[in-house]
Amino acid sequence: MNKWPVFCLALSAFLVPTAGAAGQDVQAGQILYDKWCAGCHGFDGAGDGYAADYMLPRPRDFTLGIYQIRTTSNGSLPTDEDLVHVIDKGMPGTAMPGWEAKFSSSQINDVAAYIKTFSPFFEREGAPDPLEFGRQPRREGIAEGREFFEQIECFKCHGDAGRGDGPSAPTLQDDLDFPIRAADLTENWNFNGGGSVEDIYRRLRTGMDGSPMPSFSDLIDAQFMTEEQLWHVAQYVHSLSPEEGPTISDVIVARRFEGDLPASPNDSLWNQAEAFYIPMVGQIIADERWFAPSVDGLWVSAAHNDEQLALLIVWHDPSESPDPKWLEWQQSVAASMFPLLDSVGVTPLPDRLTVQFPTSIPTGRDRPYFLMGDARNPVYLWQWSSQGDVVPEATATGLGNVQPRRGESRTLASSAVWHQGEWRLQFGRSLATPDSEAELQFATGELIPIAFYAWDGSNGEQGSQRAVSSWYGIHLEQPTPPSVYLSPVIAMALTVGLGLLVVWRAQRREEG
Amino acid sequence: MLGKIRESFRHPFWQAIYLLVLAYLLFDFGIAYLPPLFGIRSAPVPNSVVFQFTITALVGILLYVSDNEEKWSKFKEPINAALVDADKRWIRIALIVVIPLAVGWTTYSRVRPSVAAPVQLRSIHPAPPRSISFRGGTIQLARLENPLRADGSTEEDYEAGMRVYYQNCLPCHGDLLDGNGHYAHGLNPLPLAFTDNGTIPQLTESFVFWRIAKGGPGLPVEGAPWNSAMPAWEPILSEDEIWAVIIFLYEQTGWTPRTWGEAGEGGGHE
Repeated sequence: MNKWPVFCLALSAFLVPTAGAAGQDVQAGQILYDKWCAGCHGFDGAGDGYAADYMLPRPRDFTLGIYQIRTTSNGSLPTDEDLVHVIDKGMPGTAMPGWEAKFSSSQINDVAAYIKTFSPFFEREGAPDPLEFGRQPRREGIAEGREFFEQIECFKCHGDAGRGDGPSAPTLQDDLDFPIRAADLTENWNFNGGGSVEDIYRRLRTGMDGSPMPSFSDLIDAQFMTEEQLWHVAQYVHSLSPEEGPTISDVIVARRFEGDLPASPNDSLWNQAEAFYIPMVGQIIADERWFAPSVDGLWVSAAHNDEQLALLIVWHDPSESPDPKWLEWQQSVAASMFPLLDSVGVTPLPDRLTVQFPTSIPTGRDRPYFLMGDARNPVYLWQWSSQGDVVPEATATGLGNVQPRRGESRTLASSAVWHQGEWRLQFGRSLATPDSEAELQFATGELIPIAFYAWDGSNGEQGSQRAVSSWYGIHLEQPTPPSVYLSPVIAMALTVGLGLLVVWRAQRREEG
Repeated sequence: MLGKIRESFRHPFWQAIYLLVLAYLLFDFGIAYLPPLFGIRSAPVPNSVVFQFTITALVGILLYVSDNEEKWSKFKEPINAALVDADKRWIRIALIVVIPLAVGWTTYSRVRPSVAAPVQLRSIHPAPPRSISFRGGTIQLARLENPLRADGSTEEDYEAGMRVYYQNCLPCHGDLLDGNGHYAHGLNPLPLAFTDNGTIPQLTESFVFWRIAKGGPGLPVEGAPWNSAMPAWEPILSEDEIWAVIIFLYEQTGWTPRTWGEAGEGGGHE
């Protein structure tokens, strides 16, 4: 690694008089900023770097001096520590990474000092003292938090179940008129300012300036509610997410059922099958590329009974598309993203989901190209649309090269329900079908490649503009062979026998 | 109590036990967590290797306790006592229950059916072809240098490469070029970390050009399985844009490309 730039920086720290606050070197900060930050935030800090049109939310515009993640009151500048904190940790759920592993704390201080020079406000007013946040009350008050969640109308944007599907969600814009999502409160690993109760409480107190998220400190000042009650709101919001963020497993295990499989997406039998998390990202490989996917993950459960395979796919989508209420949102997303598309935003589009398999179980290690297969290796698709305007089964040999499969012998069934920002979609098919050439024949005990595509119509997604996954594997459980239980018993019996023998011999020797 | 423990340090049996536990802890945790305290990178040791190391340590310990007759008989004393003495009856029973249970559990966890995706081994730097087609033309890769370096305006090319990188590569390979962009978690295999010294510093710029132009789909047969999400950039980026982003990759990471003198004909490393 070339050590020269670092050495020069270190040297310049001694030679150049510090222009910022104590220990901050604005010029050193500029060198780092131009090299590592300007690609997104722009050389003049206006949030218009090369990558700005290729992400949503967009990079912060530093010239305005407006910051979401602060410890200071609503409408104030952030403290130096606030800036350093965000650079250190990054902003989960966005493209902003944490830099603490890459840079020393003095380097990050320098960058923070340089960022402040983009806005005249820092020199003019400076940041006020941070708010006093106190400590989380020892008594947890989730039920009370829920009451205030309703009273202070969090649900208007975030939705009754917290999935970012409130009635105002389609209309939300930031201060620069770019579309902004109401946070999905059930996924705290994506919270921009962190997902702990303390983080949430701070956002409630300070608001997230530049976004529609207000501060609720004034309700405390007006004695509408106490600090403790606002802490309870934070506790309630925190309780909406699972204890741990999702872990990614390479293999989806299809549970083997004796008898009937779940009959519908809401069948309680599904509780017996584990749900596996599949992360989704934008399709940015082939034209038209898509940098603003709405669906960021699926929960997939699978079950079979040696006859049928059932898949349950659950994901969050704030809109049951097509929905005219979201047309403005759709247009606004299209207008803020590269490339600018004329076709998007004219009519409401449906939500769609596709499951992809190879047409037969691969014998070697090679799988078809993960993005819709290739000429030599076709893929077999299960397709679903919220409008019913899609042929359920198809094969494909590349993006845009889809051949629908029609005919009498189709056995694929699907049903879906949307409720409070969540789709639950069930597919079912017999393991074997008459056309074993083009349609995958499922076999137990094998690792079968599986991948997914998701479209949120209200986000303007159609065609190649979709969320995609890598290949994963689905494994249909086989009945447990009796040897699995027999071998440990034999091993234990042998060990006990051996142990008794050793003791017996030792005692014989002692007596003898 | 304390005196008893101190005494046990001099007893060969307890010495063996302490040494064995210490060795196990060192193999299972020490190797992974001690070097980082001194700024050295390390990784957890696989269980099978820990097992092998621990067995080796056990053999060494047995050699030590049996190096003279007196020590050996002293070593055997507590074992014999546990097997024979009337007042150690409960220890005896406990051992006869606990050890078989542990054996049973180990056997069960070995034979129980479990599913894991097979490890996808692939050749990291497959040999490149001598020439490739590019947008209708042909590019000879062997002995090829980055043409943008010839005119000496690296700064401009860096800026052009920066634009290409941030508009195309960033989501996967990341701001830090460590293969950890905001899309990386959704990809398998993971995007390449250019910060690793096993990546671009081992390669000539022409090799990097080939990999960017042809991507996962253009990997040769020996590079299979080509389950990579790396697209072929030929339809999207021009020749100059690819050469510019290569300059950006080396400048930004501080690596220098491998030159033809050290690389030989292949351009990759063997």
